[in-house]
Amino acid sequence: INHIVHNGGLYKRPFNEAFEETPMLVAVLTYVGYGVLTLFGYLRDFMRQWKIEKCQNATEREEQKDFVPLYQDFENFYNRNLYMRIRDSWNRPICSVPGAKVDMMERVSHDYNWTFTYTGRVIKGIINMGSYNYLGFAQKAGTCQEAASKVLSQYGAGVCSTRQEMGNLDKHEELEKLVARFLGVESAMAYGMGFATNSMNIPALVGKGCLILSDELNHASLVLGARLSGATIRIFKHNNMQSLEKLLKDAIVHGQPRTRRPWKKILILVEGIYSMEGSIVRLPEVIALKKKYKSYLYLDEAHSIGALGPSGRGVVEYFGLSPEDVDVMMGTFTKSFGAAGGYIGGKKELIDYLRTYSHSAVYATSMSPPVVEQIITSVKCIMGEDGTTVGEARVQQLAENTRYFRRRLKEMGFIIYGNEDSPVVPLMLYMPAKIGAFGREMLKRNIGVVVVGFPATPIIESRARFCLSAAHTKEMLDTALKEIDEVGDLLQLKYSRHRLVPLLDRPFDETTYEETED
Amino acid sequence: MNVGVAHSEVNPNTRVMNSRGIWLAYVISVGVLHIVLLSIPFFSIPVVWTLTNVIHNLVMYLLLHTVKGTPFETPDQGKDRLLTHWEQIDYGTQCTSSRKFLSISPVVLYLLTSFYTKYDPAHFVVNTASLLSVLLPKLPQFHGVRVFGINKY
Repeated sequence: INHIVHNGGLYKRPFNEAFEETPMLVAVLTYVGYGVLTLFGYLRDFMRQWKIEKCQNATEREEQKDFVPLYQDFENFYNRNLYMRIRDSWNRPICSVPGAKVDMMERVSHDYNWTFTYTGRVIKGIINMGSYNYLGFAQKAGTCQEAASKVLSQYGAGVCSTRQEMGNLDKHEELEKLVARFLGVESAMAYGMGFATNSMNIPALVGKGCLILSDELNHASLVLGARLSGATIRIFKHNNMQSLEKLLKDAIVHGQPRTRRPWKKILILVEGIYSMEGSIVRLPEVIALKKKYKSYLYLDEAHSIGALGPSGRGVVEYFGLSPEDVDVMMGTFTKSFGAAGGYIGGKKELIDYLRTYSHSAVYATSMSPPVVEQIITSVKCIMGEDGTTVGEARVQQLAENTRYFRRRLKEMGFIIYGNEDSPVVPLMLYMPAKIGAFGREMLKRNIGVVVVGFPATPIIESRARFCLSAAHTKEMLDTALKEIDEVGDLLQLKYSRHRLVPLLDRPFDETTYEETED
Repeated sequence: MNVGVAHSEVNPNTRVMNSRGIWLAYVISVGVLHIVLLSIPFFSIPVVWTLTNVIHNLVMYLLLHTVKGTPFETPDQGKDRLLTHWEQIDYGTQCTSSRKFLSISPVVLYLLTSFYTKYDPAHFVVNTASLLSVLLPKLPQFHGVRVFGINKY
């Protein structure tokens, strides 16, 4: 199947995105795996209830047994029977800055992950493939750190006030002008928390009587913001422009549900890079649709800012489009800039409106000055304004790392999701036992990875997610690839039959049923 | 729960029966059950088929119509806590393809069983009762109905 899309000249470069379908045998075995785990879960619950086995979970006291229970214990079934068994792959305590290599405290469990004890040893030099450290700014020494410590001694650690009261420092104004210049928009505003940027600003932009068209795999912050706003939410298939166009046409033709009045606003919510799939949004087509149907676009560049584009300016630059076409450009400073917080960029009237009406501006504390200085220094470094070419080198190094890593993994025969150019690489594991096994085997070989399973992903699509960084050298990547190769042979993860489909063809494609809002 | 989750699906349980390969896994597991029962030397063919039918219907009744709620916490504050898995499929939309498949498979099994038991009256009574017990809860009119208050909370 030719999966390189050119689509009538909208795309200036080939758009290579592929999601290989789950092999049928693997799917059946995955269900068998979950079935066995469920059976054993019921057996263990039975033994725990009849006191044959000791119950390690928190239980009610004898005196409280006659009252209505606070929590339903079936809702905890997955947690105590599946999650507890492989719990040591998550929440690992680290004791150094999570750069390209990280130190970890070793812990063992003598009662199957119900409690952990520390052996006291620190495992040094674990290759970190789990941190969102795309440009390698998670360092403890360097220009960013020196500038931030100077600002810390000058301004203090916190601001203790909201932006509208007394918390508007000159550092914040400097940051916002810099971010606006970096993105190529008229004005920008920065907030202390990336999640809060989405969840507090979408309600300020849309309200009741508006329509939100959001992608299937949008992040929880976008979903929460959309729900809090009170607008009607309709979900389109992931990155599927036919689905989006159909929804837009229906919305404009039929209007609001009962009164048939036209919608006040239609807002399309998409992300730049989707962190669980590694796919990049089809931005040229979304913008063409937006212009045709006169709706607004909200682009969440949490993972793509700094990571895509020839000079790191995000997905808009990657496709060669103009930032004026995107109405609201949102992003976070957590991933590529090594700091914390989020920003929104757009036209001056929009940002002035947000300065007055946004919940974060009125109620939330403003960003802390050392963090602001870290962002300013890193943005200047990426733009090249600090006089060196370090930023440009990092962006290029990340692109090379991405291409190399993905190519080698594909050659080895693993199933990798996502776009060729995205630094997020999900490697499919499928079976529940392999989730735990992969995490532990990689740790034994000194590589730290992030694994995810059901219910965070669909039931047959558990995966391990690698996040590449500009700080990874080729030697580190080669070591990691060698270990992944070994573990792949050991756990038989090389499922790929090289049959690629261009769109994520989820089995429930035309007939998706949604939760009806009553 | 929605935080850290890769999709905006409120209740993943609604999608499980539509996933790729689950119908095949279901058919294969019924086949394996049948072969296991066939290997037991004392049972005759009609008895084995009746046992397959009865055990299949019993397990289906337990898993789809008795167990309520989700084994994980959902972000909608437990809206589906009192619903059985059958009622949760596709958020309660009736007559979708997985519902049709799950309604037709006990009937197919019943037809095969009646043939292999040579329409014997005793087997007929047992098999029909078991089929009714698993078909009635699947009717759209029985959505959310709890007879005599059994299994209500």
